Amino acid sequence: MADRTLGAPPPDSALSQALKQWLFSFQEFWLLTAQAFRNIAATPFYAADTFLQMDSIGVGSLPIVVLTGFFTGAVMALQLSATLTEYGQIDRLGQLVSLSLVLELGPVLSALMIGARNASGMASELGSMVVTEQIDAMRALGTDPVKKLVTPRLIATIVMTFFLTLIADMCGIVGGWVYAVMGIHMNGALYWFSAFRILDASSMIQGLIKPLIFGGIIATVGCYYGMKARGGTQGVGRATTQAVVLASLLIIISDFLLSRLLVGILGT
Amino acid sequence: MPSAGGAATPPGDIVVRLEHVVLSFGGGPVLDDVSLQVRRGETKVLLGESGAGKSVLMKLVLGLLRPDRGRVWVFDQEVSAMKEQALYDLRRKIGMTFQESALFDSLSVRDNVAYRLEEDGVLTPEAMDERVRTCLSFVNLDAVMDKMPAELSGGMRHRVSIARALATSPEIMLYDSPTGGLDPETATTIMDLIIKLRDCNHVTALLATHRLQDGYLLATHAWDDATQTARWAAEGARHTSFLLLRQGRAIFDGSAAELRRDADPYVREFLS
Ligand SMILES: Nc1ncnc2c1ncn2[C@@H]1O[C@H](COP(=O)(O)OP(=O)(O)OP(=O)(O)O)[C@@H](O)[C@H]1O
Ligand SMILES: [Mg+2]
Repeated sequence: MADRTLGAPPPDSALSQALKQWLFSFQEFWLLTAQAFRNIAATPFYAADTFLQMDSIGVGSLPIVVLTGFFTGAVMALQLSATLTEYGQIDRLGQLVSLSLVLELGPVLSALMIGARNASGMASELGSMVVTEQIDAMRALGTDPVKKLVTPRLIATIVMTFFLTLIADMCGIVGGWVYAVMGIHMNGALYWFSAFRILDASSMIQGLIKPLIFGGIIATVGCYYGMKARGGTQGVGRATTQAVVLASLLIIISDFLLSRLLVGILGT
Repeated sequence: MPSAGGAATPPGDIVVRLEHVVLSFGGGPVLDDVSLQVRRGETKVLLGESGAGKSVLMKLVLGLLRPDRGRVWVFDQEVSAMKEQALYDLRRKIGMTFQESALFDSLSVRDNVAYRLEEDGVLTPEAMDERVRTCLSFVNLDAVMDKMPAELSGGMRHRVSIARALATSPEIMLYDSPTGGLDPETATTIMDLIIKLRDCNHVTALLATHRLQDGYLLATHAWDDATQTARWAAEGARHTSFLLLRQGRAIFDGSAAELRRDADPYVREFLS
């Protein structure tokens, strides 16, 4: 505040301020994440809160995940069928649909939908608790808000994203089958045969590790923005938007990095 | 204090102590070199206009905020140097009511009041209900047990937050503007309750208010067990002292009589 006496401020001050702020947030984010994970093993474990969150995340997100999966599978079958027919490879439709769903579209699209719904929900719920001093009240009553609020959401989101992704994959394959049978009058059995034959251990593992990571991203980003919300309802609104944007970005970026890593480990 | 021997400190000992506390939020200091001591069983009234720093001071005592400089002691522990994890245990011996109530809006009134009891997990559900009912009847709110906080008026929410703080009978109470936004009759009920806790349960307290009459009520009344009311009594003054804050600086610290005699122009203006 005080020393503005030396004429013009150094030219990089705004930039370095922003950078410092960013590094600080980055550190805060990892501290919260580390703390939330550490609490998984700590007592007391808030089982009731965890199940409540599982219910609200899992059951609440089920319809959107089912619809997303189904129509993604159907539209893939629609787009691929023309090309495949042209090359005389239409009996491979099932494997193309199922492989791209299990490896990429199922995990990513489910995570994006779950994130849009739940990262925002967590940010706004925790954010309003911060600005109405409920978090302070919780601390005053001797409860660790990370243990009570963040860890249950983290566990619930990871578990539920995993199962919801499985459901989305399944619905997508069904969606492709429905289009294959109704749209292009393909033999249903042929579709199913090729859809399942292609799924080996390596692609299954890839497809099932991703939702665990994505679930972690959704919960930590949502809770982080909620816990650091400041400045009344406006601040809560801002936190909510930022949480969804960052969670979505991180899901897509980490999908690339994870794919690269897992392909390296498991082979293609 | 090393000789005091932990929790078994004899009465008259200092339970809450601030030493040259400075705190700022980026701008100028919100608290500037504030020192205070609260003895066991004493109620310290924090006076000051809006924005003087009363609420911030209370949060420092609980370790919800940390001072930039200076030290905060509660019992024999230095709150300002403790890790957050270690503070949770200490905070369980302290009750705080927040200015804006800060009730958990996803929990019913019953669950709000029972919050700490459930966390402790010692009582049976029946004993817990009993305790909740007792605490709510302290604040004349037996009827709203099953309501949600959103269904209550501001004053009712405030009283529920007092009941919540009282549920585990803490040794120290921090009341942040307990009569703010209440009608005179309810305000008197609350002040009577505070006097009762001070005189019967020997609760050590900090009470923030900008209403001078609340402070004087504490200094001039004592609990009478025979009539179950607070009545005019000189001994109230023995357990009550005042701290006047002005823009983050403590400009007066002493008894009610000293406050009335103080010559500082700001003190005189505040009293008038
Ligand atoms: N979280 C915060 N961030 C920034 N400034 C704050 C924060 N909390 C309090 N302040 C500032 O600290 C000063 C003291 O605030 P405080 O809430 O302690 O006042 P108060 O004495 O309780 O007033 P009132 O009687 O209105 O409750 C105010 O100027 C306020 O702007
Ligand atoms: Mg205040």
